[in-house]
Amino acid sequence: MVLEATMICIDNSEWTRNGDYSPSRFQAQAEAVNLICGAKTQSNPENTVGVLTMAGKGVRVLVTPTSDLGKILSCMHGLEIGGELNLTAGIQVAQLALKHRQNKKQQQRIIVFAGSPIKYDKKTLEAIGRKLKKNSVSLDIVDFGECDDGKPEKLETLISVVNNNDSSHIVRVPPGPNALSDVLMSTPIFTGDGDGGSGFAAAAAAAAAGGMSGFDFGVDPNIDPELALALRVSMEEERARQEAAAKKAAEEAAKQEKEGEQASSSHDATMAEPDSSSASAVDDKRHKLTDDETALLEQALAMSMDDPKSTNVAVADTDMSEATADDQELAFALQMSVQDNVKDSSTHSEMSKALEDQSFVSSILNSLPGVDPNDASVKDLLASLQGQSEPLQKQNEDKPENEGDK
Amino acid sequence: MDSAAASAIPRGQVDLVDFVDWSGVECLNQSTSHSLTNALKQGYRDDVGLHLESDADEQLLIYIPFTQVIKLHSVVIKGPEEEGPKTVKLFTNKEHMGFSNVSDFPSSDSIALSPDNLKGKPVNLKYVKFQNVRSLTIFIEDNQGGNDVSKVQKIVLYGTTDWPTKL
Repeated sequence: MVLEATMICIDNSEWTRNGDYSPSRFQAQAEAVNLICGAKTQSNPENTVGVLTMAGKGVRVLVTPTSDLGKILSCMHGLEIGGELNLTAGIQVAQLALKHRQNKKQQQRIIVFAGSPIKYDKKTLEAIGRKLKKNSVSLDIVDFGECDDGKPEKLETLISVVNNNDSSHIVRVPPGPNALSDVLMSTPIFTGDGDGGSGFAAAAAAAAAGGMSGFDFGVDPNIDPELALALRVSMEEERARQEAAAKKAAEEAAKQEKEGEQASSSHDATMAEPDSSSASAVDDKRHKLTDDETALLEQALAMSMDDPKSTNVAVADTDMSEATADDQELAFALQMSVQDNVKDSSTHSEMSKALEDQSFVSSILNSLPGVDPNDASVKDLLASLQGQSEPLQKQNEDKPENEGDK
Repeated sequence: MDSAAASAIPRGQVDLVDFVDWSGVECLNQSTSHSLTNALKQGYRDDVGLHLESDADEQLLIYIPFTQVIKLHSVVIKGPEEEGPKTVKLFTNKEHMGFSNVSDFPSSDSIALSPDNLKGKPVNLKYVKFQNVRSLTIFIEDNQGGNDVSKVQKIVLYGTTDWPTKL
């Protein structure tokens, strides 16, 4: 989290029209610039970043070092490609822009994107490098695009002249399927020097590479102990809350299991009836009607309450009727996704209860002989179990019992 | 009471190292292994093995802020014969100077060090120009032998503070 003022020098010469980096060299460069700006401002809110273009009609400063990310991103729009790269002038103007930074306590850094061939000789580059070093400016070079013989060596010498305590880096990005920004994310340009850099860069690198960031929450306890402590405390609180919720769900599941067994035993009685086919057809229609009615009633009730609940109920209903028509597992999966959408904690627990019900009930039903899970009355029972209110549940459970008694 | 060898304190003056604001001390173009503290800090500066060395070329720009306003009377700059500084320019109260603007305004004083000075003989400054000094910038332009690297063994500043007068 070094306090830094950075000037990014963009190559907008004709060489960047090439499409060997998707979508084009220039676009890939622009994305990388956006990412770098984000990383710098995140790692330290007082960091400032500026941008200038090196080709075109001449070196032009688009934005002087600022911590306003929006300004930087907006100036990246509408840039024209053309002209030839003027590396020496670009670096000198960048140095001047950094000299007039508002906060003199910031370290100075220049990041250069070099996509075209370098036409300067080593001596000129060395002179520039020495000037940068004398004014304690660090330099990062992103070597992409054209690779003629001599370019890597020239840039290497430039870096070695400027380099002071490993603060300057050069990165060579060959053309290929990986985006320029992805490759850069794992380099020291992004992650900063020394202490492993910011949480942003560490998280991004971890996401890209799938590796460990090294610290618990991407925050070094040495650099920012308060933030690390706050993150740790909130994680533990979340864990405790989830454990409590899980315990509650388990209790409810145990309760529902008993009720589920009752319902399935009543179904047994229904199935065992001799003229079950015709009766069940009749039951089927009646159940369907009542189920539809109850579903509509539910929806109306829910809509009169707050919106998220109603949408969930409607979604849940449609999901259930479709799902049970096809596949139990699909229903289960749909329930899970619906459960995820529910934000209200009460509905969350209710849904988890219903979920526990359904999985238990369906598993029990599947294990029972003579019970066809795709049977209409079973479908209805499951649909009703999934409903929000308990009286509804009991009502539906009573109905099969009544039908069974008939 | 100036002596050629030892750094005896001029009459009435104080060694100003106690009034240096170390948090703001900066030195441009110093080599990382041989930094300014080797020449300025008490204890380090008397160690013959430790010295301040320049990096990319022979110039050095040293910025020293003080914790209070002082009057600067004289300086002692010790260094090796060949690589010790020759032309030294002093600027007062100019913050964050760079090598590019050393020539933008006239220095408060410009001294040419002789080999005697490099052995420890104090250089008396134009006292009138250093009456109200909050910060001092020392620009070492070149060295005795015209080498690529300048070396400084010891920098001592002598002067007085305003404290007795500001009650």
